[in-house]
Amino acid sequence: MSSSTDFHNQRSRFRSFLDRFSTDSLVAPDPLTDRTLVAVIFILTFIAALTAGLVLFGSAASARWQALLSSEVTVQIRPQPGRNIETDLTRAADFLKQVQGVTKVRIYSYDETMRMLEPWLGQSSSLGGLSIPRLIAVEIDSKAQPDIPAISKELARDIPGTAIDDHRSWTRRLTTLGNSLVIASAAGLILVMTATALAIVFATRGAMVGNREIVEVFYFMGADDRYIARVFQRHFFRLGLRGGILGACLALIVLALLRFVVAGTEGLRDMFGFGIIDPLSTVGLAIVIAVLAVALFVSLLASVVSRITVHSTLSRLV
Amino acid sequence: MQAHPNRWGGELVRFENVGLRYGAAPETLTDISFSILPQSFQFLTGASGSGKTTILRLILQSLKPTRGMISIFGQDTAQLDKDGLTALRRRMGIVFQDFRLLDHLTIYENVALPFKIRGRMESSYRAEVIELLKWIGLGDLLQAKPPVLSGGEKQRTSIARALVSQPELLLADEPTGNLDPVLAGRLLRLFVELNRSGTAILIATHDIGLMDQIKGGRRLVLQNHHLQVEG
Repeated sequence: MSSSTDFHNQRSRFRSFLDRFSTDSLVAPDPLTDRTLVAVIFILTFIAALTAGLVLFGSAASARWQALLSSEVTVQIRPQPGRNIETDLTRAADFLKQVQGVTKVRIYSYDETMRMLEPWLGQSSSLGGLSIPRLIAVEIDSKAQPDIPAISKELARDIPGTAIDDHRSWTRRLTTLGNSLVIASAAGLILVMTATALAIVFATRGAMVGNREIVEVFYFMGADDRYIARVFQRHFFRLGLRGGILGACLALIVLALLRFVVAGTEGLRDMFGFGIIDPLSTVGLAIVIAVLAVALFVSLLASVVSRITVHSTLSRLV
Repeated sequence: MQAHPNRWGGELVRFENVGLRYGAAPETLTDISFSILPQSFQFLTGASGSGKTTILRLILQSLKPTRGMISIFGQDTAQLDKDGLTALRRRMGIVFQDFRLLDHLTIYENVALPFKIRGRMESSYRAEVIELLKWIGLGDLLQAKPPVLSGGEKQRTSIARALVSQPELLLADEPTGNLDPVLAGRLLRLFVELNRSGTAILIATHDIGLMDQIKGGRRLVLQNHHLQVEG
């Protein structure tokens, strides 16, 4: 009985403590304006959250592609007069297998090579015994990469017409593309946040003008600027949180749909990798966290901007 | 209606040669001098537009005088910073002519607002607010909202809100302006009761009949931008 009373008293004290900080609904609700602001914040948060999610998605895909490219080199052997290209391929493969850091060597057969060229040259049957360069795919340990220039020099000395492509130009392009995407997205996010902040400024000013008499009542009852700012700050934080959560939820739904599309399409699944689109993977969790962080940030932005706006408007209002 | 010295031994309000003009227009108020003593009861009267509300605003410091000196609770208002002004306003109560109730809050929440603004815990004032509302006959309307109240009920709520923090000075702007004579008389008796319990009262009104109900009440009469003290 006594512990029940203690619990009741503690709960009552806790409620009173919360009430001390509560400024609930002291700003008169304006359904039309509030709903419009929530809708604006919802749209802007959706754009910002989707952008953040796609940036992480794109960065992860770019990193995956770079990792794949840097873990493989391609040896090309051009046919040389007086030389048997099949023998050269076997010799090159044998040499490569002995190099430290090389994990797998695979010679592409003549038929496989022709199939690769089909999109440009058409059916192989019509080409007869056309002499074409041949490829060896070499997988390397990306953590302990072999000395590619030395291998290249060695092969070229022993087998004329040999060249190694370590995909550096592609890696560079991908890095540039990835960085450009991140910078463009960051600029987009800044613009969206600025638009959000401006929308909050206008809404706060509108709310203050609409609540001018209430603000005056607060003043005459002994409220100071800090209290009035807190009242509006709380009001706009809630509106921001409502719009932010709605925007983040829609962004997560769109990203989840994107995941299903990627997972269900063979070419895309190979391109992006299943690990990236798995919501329980590191990248998947990072995307979810980033989207939720955008929603929270928008709410905090609404809160801070409204507070600053109230302070700058109060002196002119009353 | 005897005035008694307050704990710091001075007037609650003192105006000395106060003038107020808006821009380049002629003075709205000229050489206004008067004082309000603790526990005193006075009317501020004059024709509509004579400046009654303006004087209340000057006391509340939502307007600054163009010239002259205003002292509130012994402090020169020209020297006040924002925190000082807030502290002074917390010692006053105001009843607005148009009530200024927050329509989206209940009667209880409206009356409890001064406590909430001051950061007090609800458990510390709940009983006090309910008791006051019962005393002024609104005990059954705690959860009602202003839009459903009659003019008299709104006015009593407004008065309760001004009184709940037991101010040393109560300012009322045309508190009976929207009420019938019977209800106006009852509200006036409420103000007299409050005055007896120690609150100084300043009622701005142009209702001569209302003022005549208080024998010996002091009158501050505004006429032609000047103020004359009677009684």
